[in-house]
Amino acid sequence: MRSRARRLLLFAVILLAWFAVFEAGLRRWGSSEAAPAFQGLFTGDPVIGYRLKPGARTRFTTSEFDTWIAINGAGVRDDEEIGPKAPDEKRIVILGDSLVLSVQVPFDRTFGELLERRLNEGSGTTRYRVINAGVQGYGPVEALLFFRRVVQHLQPDLVLVSVFVGNDAEEAVTARRLLDGERPATEVLSEGLATRLRRLVRRSMVLQVLRLRLVAVTDRFRSVSGPPEPPLQSYAARPAPRIGEGIRITTEVLRQLAAEAEAAGAATGIVLMPARFQIDDADYGRLKEIVRQTGGELVRDAATERFAAALGELRLPMIDLLPPLRRALPGPDLFFQENVHLTLRGHAVVAGALADFLREERLVEER
Amino acid sequence: MVFNSLHFVWFFIAVYALYRLLPHRPQNWLLLVSSYYFYAAWDWRFLGLLAASTVVDYTTARLIESADAPRRRRLLLTISIAFNLSLLGFFKYFNFFSDSLQALFATVGWTLDFVTLRVLLPVGISFYTFVTMSYVIDVYRREIPAERNFVDFAVFVAYFPHLVAGPILRASRLLPQIAQPRAITREHLRDGLWLITWGFFQKIYIADNLAPLANRVFDPGAEQAGVNVLIGVYAFAFQIYGDFAGYSNIARGTSKLMGIELLENFRFPYLVRTPQEFWRNWHISLSTWLRDYLYIPLGGSRGTPARTHRNLLVTMLLGGLWHGAAWTFVLWGAYQGLLLVIYRAAERVPLVRAWTCGPGAIARITSWAVMFHLTCYGWLIFRARSVDQIGDMTWRLVAHFQPFAVDLPQLLVPLVLYLTPLALVHALEARRDDLLIVPKLPLVVRYSLYAATFYLTMLFGNFGGSEFIYFQF
Repeated sequence: MRSRARRLLLFAVILLAWFAVFEAGLRRWGSSEAAPAFQGLFTGDPVIGYRLKPGARTRFTTSEFDTWIAINGAGVRDDEEIGPKAPDEKRIVILGDSLVLSVQVPFDRTFGELLERRLNEGSGTTRYRVINAGVQGYGPVEALLFFRRVVQHLQPDLVLVSVFVGNDAEEAVTARRLLDGERPATEVLSEGLATRLRRLVRRSMVLQVLRLRLVAVTDRFRSVSGPPEPPLQSYAARPAPRIGEGIRITTEVLRQLAAEAEAAGAATGIVLMPARFQIDDADYGRLKEIVRQTGGELVRDAATERFAAALGELRLPMIDLLPPLRRALPGPDLFFQENVHLTLRGHAVVAGALADFLREERLVEER
Repeated sequence: MVFNSLHFVWFFIAVYALYRLLPHRPQNWLLLVSSYYFYAAWDWRFLGLLAASTVVDYTTARLIESADAPRRRRLLLTISIAFNLSLLGFFKYFNFFSDSLQALFATVGWTLDFVTLRVLLPVGISFYTFVTMSYVIDVYRREIPAERNFVDFAVFVAYFPHLVAGPILRASRLLPQIAQPRAITREHLRDGLWLITWGFFQKIYIADNLAPLANRVFDPGAEQAGVNVLIGVYAFAFQIYGDFAGYSNIARGTSKLMGIELLENFRFPYLVRTPQEFWRNWHISLSTWLRDYLYIPLGGSRGTPARTHRNLLVTMLLGGLWHGAAWTFVLWGAYQGLLLVIYRAAERVPLVRAWTCGPGAIARITSWAVMFHLTCYGWLIFRARSVDQIGDMTWRLVAHFQPFAVDLPQLLVPLVLYLTPLALVHALEARRDDLLIVPKLPLVVRYSLYAATFYLTMLFGNFGGSEFIYFQF
């Protein structure tokens, strides 16, 4: 018995020693979003749950990119402070998720910055300032709350809301309780032992990855109790009822956002952002097969069509980025291989499409 | 049900807990019921095939044993083999031959409208039909007695650790272990747990992480420089090894926990120096099956060199076709056959023999490197999606090698990172010539390896990976 206890102790010591080795290695060379440096970009928020931390800076390196990310004092990605609005200045704020935030590319190559340059080309009386208000993991509900808490104080003239058709319906369903003033999960947790545990896990890259594995296992365990649901429900030929519900919530949220923006003197536009597989044939083939194996049917543009139909009722200017991205094929990759975000070329194509859209809709002046 | 699923984890915990509580006979019933459940979890409709194969071969073997007349014995053997080959032929090769024949007629301008059946391949059919065929042949040859206990025989056929992807078991080895009460020793537990851990590591950390590297290069639209094709082929070589050896290790490990020993299926296949050695160490249960039930009955090496070469070629061609109904597998079989034939002819030259079998360091390294690359070229043929792709990739390797176009961050660095732990453990095992050396190491070293394997699998494993490659065979 004593010998068994000693062996267990020895194993625990060795396990801890390796923990230290992997923790150090991951901190030095790791490039996961679980890295403390990357997590340091975010801070808690009592209404939205979390947001970008004002003044945060970090370098994010993976095998595909290496970027410096700076968050300004207003809490949006920018190398400079926004400052007071000049008389000849018009501000365009782009709300959205990681596809807008774009930590994969340098700030001056994001589609927001490229759009700003395009709009300011040539002579004109107005100087445009495009503000990147994307936050990793945000859906339409968080976008509305972020507009209220941060964006409206930036005095926007135009608010562009980027709707990622791939998961925004699902995210709207998950986040709708925030609209009723319910405390976000991150805030609810921030009490007692749970907080300390969370902090511990947050500070350790090893524990963060192990936590993700555990979540994956418990998700799978839940799926054992019933037939597994095919992935990518937003694109399913017969989607789960929550997709329709999510699109309905998104429509209502954007209606509300447009009304509040109008009250603050800003117009609103909608940008439909497609998922990578809607552009990339190989990715589509792979995902279609995965969905088929789980008994589902993947319809490539179903999510775009559903959002376009529902949001069309709002009669707001709207652009679907799918056609311009498809028109850019063939050519170098528009999306990264290992993550689903836009490459430099993808950003350039999106910036061009947005500039044309804004001019056609007379949301900016013709030069 | 696949080993790398949560479903299997719960299934095995439940089965094992019961297994440890039950005496011998009820244990066999438990193994039978759980094996059928294991198979039904994939597709219950094919349970009938498994049961039919079991009943037919149990009965014919009993009849063969009781028959004295050679003609009757041969007739019964023929019935059994015809039944098993019909199952295989219909479910595995119907579409292949039908499509190939239509394509052949189309080349001379004839459009034939065959009845097209999209036949679903029952998982594991290639494995369990070979298991039952070898049993009946062994009974026919009077090498083993026919099993009298139907439950024991049914467990032998359906035993879940080996049912869907081998190893292809021999009755002489497994049936006695099923028939006799089993003792589970501390060594069984120690070795079994290590084999399971290492098997999962080979699958989740090595195979599933190398798969995207190989896919990138084998994607039909990929226009890679030859150097990157080579790295992609290396990646596939270790992907298929990690996948299949991993499965075999998990099968052996789970079996050991139940006190049943399965065959070693892989023994450092990429450290060999000749084609003969490769087939003695790669998918050992299949290569010995092909040797005992195909190559030797064809005449083996007993006739003239020409006949021996023919026998080798036929055996390897059929071995290639066993892997799947596609011309690339047939070509791979032919390629392996040719390697065996050429080496067999060349080894008569003393210089060649000294080079491939001699002890000198330079000879050892160079002959190993040549054999490794010949094996890898075989994997290129095996993995290619079409014969055209084989030609295209070969052309890139030869005419567009472009060593400076090497894709370091996407291909070479990940390949090295994923293979380093495998190389270290293999070095340890090969040095002592013992695949189970790790559980015998001093406590501190052993625990260090366990912990490192755990962290590497959990932190860097690809948990979104696919089924085991050999399921499709």
